[in-house]
Amino acid sequence: MEGEPAMTLSGRDAYKDELSKLAYGDERILCMEADLGGKNHPFQKQHPERFYNVGIAELAGIDIAAGLAEAGYVPFFSTFAAFAALRASESIKLAMGYMGKNMKVVAAYGGVSGGWFGTTHHALEDIAVIQSFQNIRIACPHGEEETRRVIREAAASPEPYYIRLSRNDAFDSLYRPAEASCRELLLQSRADEGGTRSRLCLISVGEQATELCKTIVEENPSIAHAHLCYVDIDSLKSYRTMLTSIADRFLVVEEHRATGGTASYLALLLPQHEIHSHSCGEQWPIYGGSHSEVLDDLGFGLEPLREQISQLEEAGVAHDL
Amino acid sequence: MEQAISVRSKEAIPELLRKAKEARELIIDMAATPTGCHIGGSLSVIDLLIGAFAKRGHDPESLVLLSKGHAAAALYAALYVNGTITDNPAAGYGRAGSLFTGHPNHKLPGIPFATGSLGHGISYGAGWAIAQKLKGTDGISIVIGGDGELQEGLCWETAQIVQAQSLANFIYVVDCNGGQNDGYVQDISPIRNLKERFEAFGFTVREIDGHDFEDIWTALEPDPIRPVAVLAQTVKGKGVPAIEGNPEAHYVKIPEKLARRWKVSLP
Repeated sequence: MEGEPAMTLSGRDAYKDELSKLAYGDERILCMEADLGGKNHPFQKQHPERFYNVGIAELAGIDIAAGLAEAGYVPFFSTFAAFAALRASESIKLAMGYMGKNMKVVAAYGGVSGGWFGTTHHALEDIAVIQSFQNIRIACPHGEEETRRVIREAAASPEPYYIRLSRNDAFDSLYRPAEASCRELLLQSRADEGGTRSRLCLISVGEQATELCKTIVEENPSIAHAHLCYVDIDSLKSYRTMLTSIADRFLVVEEHRATGGTASYLALLLPQHEIHSHSCGEQWPIYGGSHSEVLDDLGFGLEPLREQISQLEEAGVAHDL
Repeated sequence: MEQAISVRSKEAIPELLRKAKEARELIIDMAATPTGCHIGGSLSVIDLLIGAFAKRGHDPESLVLLSKGHAAAALYAALYVNGTITDNPAAGYGRAGSLFTGHPNHKLPGIPFATGSLGHGISYGAGWAIAQKLKGTDGISIVIGGDGELQEGLCWETAQIVQAQSLANFIYVVDCNGGQNDGYVQDISPIRNLKERFEAFGFTVREIDGHDFEDIWTALEPDPIRPVAVLAQTVKGKGVPAIEGNPEAHYVKIPEKLARRWKVSLP
């Protein structure tokens, strides 16, 4: 309706829409799906000659994307994160990590965003797997605008990309100046406003984590919040100087296993600093429910995060004394 | 068209035979390096590689890819006798600091994709074929795999897509040498009714002698409508009677003295 604000799109829908738009100006762009793109895919409608549903064939699909990339195309291959990063991990390792083909994997259903779909459709290990392959740019955008920017950045870059999205959650992204790259860390902090160093800096990765951190910082402005969109090794290294200027103690909030998550690599990069993790732990998500309900079962959410922060702050005070 | 192919084939055959013999000598030399090499499958596939490169190796819009990457010695030898790579692969094969690794190295000219983990080359080649179809070129994709490789599910996953995408510019050559790492294919996991399998996937199937250049040349013409599967009957260790047909020759390391004898005895 005229005058009604546009509805915020989920990351998945923002991806489809943005790629469809980009393809008008870039004939190299191809859209590939492995039967999970849904009916009425906008790219298929707008660019049918450059849309490929390869069927339920993730390994072959990614290898095929590599062949297309070699021939000069820029294929975006999308499926669920579990099937991309885990089932087709060897194809990603070889074509993207080792050989660096200019192709992009867009992995929806990251973390436990599949909710009641169950563990076969969850991916709490994907960042660890992809990060270990080296040389693959990894983005975990938050909200519609950041997702659109990442898609544009991926299309313009010759690097292989793994872009982790969720299912249908829709969020407004944090503000970022129009000219800024998503590779720049976004900071919510008193230090940013000329204040003192923070006692604790939350580091958010992904959509749910960023929403949690936003809430915590609104409740307690003395805590800083650094939002990381890119979490590949090269990007994490680029954040070091900025992070260490903010605080000495960090709590990484990420919808992922602790093993191989962003916190574990930051701990290697910042050995003189305290790095803690609010993650999905070691349990298997065996229950149904919504995205947030499954996260609750795994101990990932606002209440457990508040409790962890409280414990860290108490420990910090004791340590400082 | 048929006549043109035939004439070119007959003219080319003495040259192809010469290159194949030179390549076999190199493969034997690589078996005599400190690491040894996958000699059996390299000697079975070398004529297919020489033929495929002669057919389409000059065409930038076409792809010739060795999917059974363990036969890297054959690939390096074929690229060397064709002048694509200038360093003698036998001098560096398997050695520290050398790009001539035991499975194809994409850092070398003429190798766009590092195969070795079986099955991936087929799907990569399908991607190249889709790209040429989309561009509207005459480029084709020739992927050379093995009968043991067909035990990988990825091969059939790809065959399904090749059929669905109607890739008439895709040719998959199977080096049917009957052997694999631990023995005979027929004893480990037989690939029965191979012709019928590929036909069921919508391929035109051509059964040839994989050491006959007339056969190879003709078989590597694309079908006007359907993808092509070339079932090439070959002999593991072809050219070296001491190891011909013996699956034990999948991977060997031999002394230089023996290598000299084998090279002298090559037909």
